[in-house]
Amino acid sequence: MVMNIKEKLQILADSAKYDASCSSSGSRRKNNNGIGNAAYAGICHSFSADGRCISLLKILMTNCCIFDCKYCLNRKSNNIKRAIFTPEEICYITLNFYKRNYIEGLFLSSGIIKSPDYTMELMIKTITLLRQKYHFGGYIHAKAIPGASEILLKKLGSLVDRLSANIELPTESGLKLLAPNKETNKVDKIMGYIKENRNNNFVPAGQSTQMIIGATNETDLDIMNKSENLYNRFNLKRVFYSAYVPVNTDKLLPALATPPLKRENRLYQADWLLRYYGFKTKDILNEENPNFNLLVDPKANWAINHLDEFPKEVNSCSYPELLKIPGIGVKSAKEIIKSRKYFQLTFKDLKKMGVVLKRAQYFITCGGKYNLNKEFFKKDFILSNLVIEEATTPMSNKQQLSLFS
Amino acid sequence: MNNIYIYDGSFSNLLNLISYLLENKIKPFNIKITTYNPSLFEQIINIKLKKNFINEDIFQNHHLLKTIYYVYLSDNENKEITIYYFLLNYFKFGNKVFYLKNLKCVDKTLKIAHLVSHEAHRFKGFTRFKELKNKVLYATIAPDNNILPIISKHFQKRLKNELWIIKDENRNIISLYDKKKYYIVSCDQFKLLDTTLSENEINLEILWKTFFKTVAIKERENKRCQMNFMPKKYWQNIIEMSD
Repeated sequence: MVMNIKEKLQILADSAKYDASCSSSGSRRKNNNGIGNAAYAGICHSFSADGRCISLLKILMTNCCIFDCKYCLNRKSNNIKRAIFTPEEICYITLNFYKRNYIEGLFLSSGIIKSPDYTMELMIKTITLLRQKYHFGGYIHAKAIPGASEILLKKLGSLVDRLSANIELPTESGLKLLAPNKETNKVDKIMGYIKENRNNNFVPAGQSTQMIIGATNETDLDIMNKSENLYNRFNLKRVFYSAYVPVNTDKLLPALATPPLKRENRLYQADWLLRYYGFKTKDILNEENPNFNLLVDPKANWAINHLDEFPKEVNSCSYPELLKIPGIGVKSAKEIIKSRKYFQLTFKDLKKMGVVLKRAQYFITCGGKYNLNKEFFKKDFILSNLVIEEATTPMSNKQQLSLFS
Repeated sequence: MNNIYIYDGSFSNLLNLISYLLENKIKPFNIKITTYNPSLFEQIINIKLKKNFINEDIFQNHHLLKTIYYVYLSDNENKEITIYYFLLNYFKFGNKVFYLKNLKCVDKTLKIAHLVSHEAHRFKGFTRFKELKNKVLYATIAPDNNILPIISKHFQKRLKNELWIIKDENRNIISLYDKKKYYIVSCDQFKLLDTTLSENEINLEILWKTFFKTVAIKERENKRCQMNFMPKKYWQNIIEMSD
């Protein structure tokens, strides 16, 4: 029976949705007298019922797969409906969605059909059509297929804005257990190749990766060490963390009632600390405390355990010091630095600059003044107040973190 | 009596009026559009400016011009006088005015400009076109601020080989693009006669709604988060949310 395009879309969007990456940023591709361009900051076009941003048409080329990864919906041993898009079908949906401003572009991944090379060739054929026949200038993020030849990687990278490969699990042993067909060194090879060759015409928006959290028994320390290592070695733009959602039952998989969303949230917060706040993994986690405190965020947790370094005077402390104060972000820290050249900042001014005083007040002085009674400058008092503050802020505000870039 | 200075509603005339007032050290009580109804204690002053008083500086300073233009596009009822005081401080302090948030008018100006910029950014994503029978792409939006000029520029680059029309229901204005330029006119000047949808339109909308429903992960449902990012007030024109 011939499947219609709607049925295919349903199957191939359903199997692609566990990829956390939604971003459409980092590229300045121009409209080359066709249709579409990229917006450097990225644009969210809609938000699905789980609160995640929809920016790209996120689909698989096919959900047929020769691999049998335990956690994956599309594994060979699952008895599910299989579908494959033709290149023209993908062009049709992408262009028509784009024209109506439903989407910012295409996210194309795939199960492995026949061989890695065969699969990548199909993807290349599709994206070549989009770029060359239809002159599509919108954002394209493609997933590289581990094991495909370098020449194909080169070809694909010259067509897309972002190219990436998922490391899937944070540790080698986890991968051996749950994805016996996948090898870390193949993913490393792709990442290394992209890093070496990246320029304005090859993967201009850079690469990202994703790992599944909570399907194997690694600690947060293992995960953050892995991320730090990836950022250092391959200049990744982002590591995405995807709370494990049980789609299969298998004796090797944990039986979780709900995905570990809180843990995922903490990992994203810590990831931000690594990339923008000058923290190292060893500052926030160690062998004695290898997992994040689920009650307070990693930065506040760090500050509470380093109270001897506080309170900081916001009118004089350095930029790196400002960044380590809970409740102060990159934007507000920059503004503080600029503004305090011209006038002495008060608590009220800090609020105008976006500082979350409810959190920052325990750790700062403003013109020598502490906002609370000095007697309250104690670990237990601050900790309990921050825990309450966090518990009463709705989760919906916090997910924002995972949405940028 | 409180002096209310009036202008015709255009950005250039507002700038010229404010420049004139600043140059002559006149402190207006407020600045309003011609159609403004004064209260008992207010008196309207209508000056016909024959020459240009605008300081060249303003046009050289992209950041400044953009900031006050965005305030001008806002729906804030005191936007004109806010721009007046911001410019007053700009001529006093120069570019560092952007960091003087301890001044009320500076804080207010930057907040309003940010709001407009944020809403414009949202509508680069939330605007939904429908294809009409004559292949024209047609969208209706209802933003709080007058962001139509900003997004028109965006779609001019993005959809440069398409014919498109965006209608702002709240302001009753329309932006028309003819593959070269866009024109923003009042709806009274331009009536769209035939809004029959193209044959395939319903199928594409169904296809989009199918995708939209499918990508949500059931185990992670968070409607509050969804609504935070995509406020209800915009739903009527976002096809996947409107039914």
